Amino acid sequence: MMPRSWPTEVWKDPWSLPRYRAGALWLGGILFGIVLISAVVGELCVWGEKLFAFLSHLGLSVVVVDWIWVLVKLGCVIGLIVANGLWAVWWERKISAHMQSRLGPMYAGGFHGWAQTILDTVKLLLKEDITPASADKVLHALAPVVAIAPCVIAFAPVLFGKELAAAKLDIGVLYIFAFAGISVIGIVMAGWASGNKYSLLGGLRAAAQIVSYELPRGFSVVPIIMFAGSLDLAVIDQAQAGYWFGFFPRWFIFYPVAGQLSFLFFLIASVAETNRTPFDIPEAESELVAGFHTEFSGMKWSLFFLTEYGYVMLASFLLAVFFFGGGAAPLPFLRFIPSWIWMMGKAMLMMFVFLWFRWTFPRLRVDQLMEFNWKFLLPWCFVNIAVAGLILAWGMR
Amino acid sequence: MIAYFKEVFSGAWAFLQGLAITLRYLFKPSITVPYPTEKLTPYAAFRGILLVDPAKCIACGLCAKACPSTCISLESQVHPETKKRIPKPEWYALDLGRCNFCGLCEAACPTKPKSVWHSLDYEAVFSNRDEMVRCWKPGFPLAGRVWDPRKKDFKDPKGQISVKEMRTRP
Amino acid sequence: MSINPMNSTPIRSETSGLKTDTLFLNMGPQHPSTHGVLRLGLTISGEVIVEAMPDIGYLHRGVEKLLETRTYAQGVVLADRLDYCSAMSNDLAFCLSVEKLLGAQVPKRAQVLRVIMAELNRIASHLIFFGTYGIDIGAFTPFLYAFREREMVLDLFEMCCGARLTYNYIRPGGVASDINADWIARCREFLDFFKPRLDEYDTLLSFNPIFLVRTQTVGIITPKTAVAWGLSGPNLRASGVNYDVRQAEPYCGYEQYDFTVALGKTGSCWDRYFCRVVEMRQSVRIVEQALSRLASGEIMAKLPKVLRLPAGEAYSHIEASRGDLGVYIVSDGGLAPYRLHFRAPCFINLAILQEILVGKKVADVIAVLGSLDIVLGEVDR
Repeated sequence: MMPRSWPTEVWKDPWSLPRYRAGALWLGGILFGIVLISAVVGELCVWGEKLFAFLSHLGLSVVVVDWIWVLVKLGCVIGLIVANGLWAVWWERKISAHMQSRLGPMYAGGFHGWAQTILDTVKLLLKEDITPASADKVLHALAPVVAIAPCVIAFAPVLFGKELAAAKLDIGVLYIFAFAGISVIGIVMAGWASGNKYSLLGGLRAAAQIVSYELPRGFSVVPIIMFAGSLDLAVIDQAQAGYWFGFFPRWFIFYPVAGQLSFLFFLIASVAETNRTPFDIPEAESELVAGFHTEFSGMKWSLFFLTEYGYVMLASFLLAVFFFGGGAAPLPFLRFIPSWIWMMGKAMLMMFVFLWFRWTFPRLRVDQLMEFNWKFLLPWCFVNIAVAGLILAWGMR
Repeated sequence: MIAYFKEVFSGAWAFLQGLAITLRYLFKPSITVPYPTEKLTPYAAFRGILLVDPAKCIACGLCAKACPSTCISLESQVHPETKKRIPKPEWYALDLGRCNFCGLCEAACPTKPKSVWHSLDYEAVFSNRDEMVRCWKPGFPLAGRVWDPRKKDFKDPKGQISVKEMRTRP
Repeated sequence: MSINPMNSTPIRSETSGLKTDTLFLNMGPQHPSTHGVLRLGLTISGEVIVEAMPDIGYLHRGVEKLLETRTYAQGVVLADRLDYCSAMSNDLAFCLSVEKLLGAQVPKRAQVLRVIMAELNRIASHLIFFGTYGIDIGAFTPFLYAFREREMVLDLFEMCCGARLTYNYIRPGGVASDINADWIARCREFLDFFKPRLDEYDTLLSFNPIFLVRTQTVGIITPKTAVAWGLSGPNLRASGVNYDVRQAEPYCGYEQYDFTVALGKTGSCWDRYFCRVVEMRQSVRIVEQALSRLASGEIMAKLPKVLRLPAGEAYSHIEASRGDLGVYIVSDGGLAPYRLHFRAPCFINLAILQEILVGKKVADVIAVLGSLDIVLGEVDR
């Protein structure tokens, strides 16, 4: 039994609360632990090379080794997407809870309910898979697969650290955008196949929105491609290595005007692409119940969820690579921490921005969303490309 | 042109201010408590589950009259020989499924201290309709008992975890 | 009723010659944002509403009929449950009507207490509106901020009258319990805490550009339409019609308080929203004034234990959180009213939906419906 305490009392001196102190201590400890362990482990690409060398020395044929190697990388990527789903849901719940003066999950697992999403997954796996009577059975079952497959495929050239990518592609950026655009077919399929009017509206909205926002998303990174001179993510990453005046990172976001504008446009377009607030009109829960995934349950539903969070992570990693120097340390003396931790940290920071947006802003209307895209975002993207051209022509010689 | 840029920048500024507010609250301690493991105490005036003291009750029936949803029923004891009404309840029953938690019965009770009163207990858990009806007879605890139709006997109400810690009387 | 899906007429697209059909969309009663169990039969063409038909009655409990078999003291309990978001106002309207027929004089202190409670309840009720309207538009966080502050008001109510939602506090002849110095200190603490929060709400939601474009040009009700449909409360005042029962026909000594009535300009959703936000500020002012003029004295008039109203009829109305709430009592001299009717503001405000929804987008349905701030408990009674 506890006495009632008002915000006026609780907020007066937060550090006197044991739970607040313990939380801060835990958080600091976890961060310190990550840094310590990663510094010991070192670059992951080195370990990858060692593993590959080990596989090659097993005496298997080259084809078999290649196949095993592909499977290992595939396992890593899929594992990352699934683990990201677990992590991101928990993180979103905690972040939103604390932004809203709540606690969020606290029970499962002990420390701040860390096991909550794992248990949720178990629940989702055991849940009844309901297909509505009026649904198109085949499409209904196919839709989540069509949605998540491009998400997994799009991760192939994504850079997770220095030279740490599943596939080395010269046209990595183009490849990612091309595949990321395919998922919308799954969403439209889901909307149509559910046999529900709300789902249909959600699917239609998603189609219009995602196809439209492909354009500013693509055009907003053109300045970055111009600066780096390549579509290869590794080259873009390397182009930002080093420091101005010995301490100021040469990241693209610090390039005058064009860098910041591209960052903003890409961020906005990415939020729209991933169907998150303030652009979450396809699932707008207050209007369309849950939009295209209203009639999905159990694992089918969670595949949509994984897709959404997968794309959030994709966008976060892209933001980190394009604008925040990828695996580069922000200050020279911090280079002892390996690049994959920097990459991960920057991506998580970007993911936090996504969550932050979601829990702050209201939602736009369909036509306003389109208007914003075609009448504001896209023209300014073109202006931005021109600005980047000017910078390249005169400034960066 | 200037107005256009002004609009864009003021809009962006408004967004940033909104973001600043949510960020500020991110670092403030939460004001909620995780419920089943930590529980808040209601204020002294709180009107929770009704308790009855069958030893104090004089079976006058004023509470039953005052109740707007007729959730109280009782019968007074009758002297076995003179067939006269004794100011003691034979049984006293409350249908918590009907109770409005309005406090009119407590106000109407003439005994001192009150023989029917709202406790501070807010954890009423029922799994079926039988459990909503509480019965009091002389010798029963203040929280009453629930008729178990399967065992044909009275049992203590389950789910009211905190009733023992609660204020017993106003 | 034309909400039969079979009746929807196909419309012909003039330009292309394509034959398009309308879609019947059944919104509610289980829709997440119809604020209870309202059902809206929407005929839509694409995402544009062609016809809207509110269908009510899912929460009908027959309160007016039930009251005919309850004494006046018991009646308050049922009146609580009409507009459960602002139960104090219901109690007040009911008790004012009873006292009017009875000719009872309410003590000074009780009147001030009634004002304090009614205004605090107005804050709590508008906070629900503020929060749920944020959710309707897609912002979730303001909802929990609003509930955080509402929790404090409910704590105040719990401290004073023992309940958090259905108070049964205002009784015929006065109020049920008195407040003490501790309560007043707590109340002042809340008011001081609450004022800066209102500024935060403005930053977070009221002047958020997305919120503005979603609501400022949507659901416009002209003053003429508003009066014609009998709107009241913030919905009417947002259209610029200055009618507030607290000033037009003061009760409980409202004429002694200094407050301004919030008026909108265009009658759009945003005006209706912002009227309520401004009303919260005014309520804070009223509560502050009331706290300072709280004189010691009786809180209950000397009334017989069993209330028996003289035969006759009485109507009294108050400015409840959602509009002009009236109670009409017909008594035949018995223990219970012969007939009792509530003029429920939500019920009357809701009817205008069928006119203002036509031509709007599906997303706007929620914005407009939310801005009218209905409580189905009062609509269906």
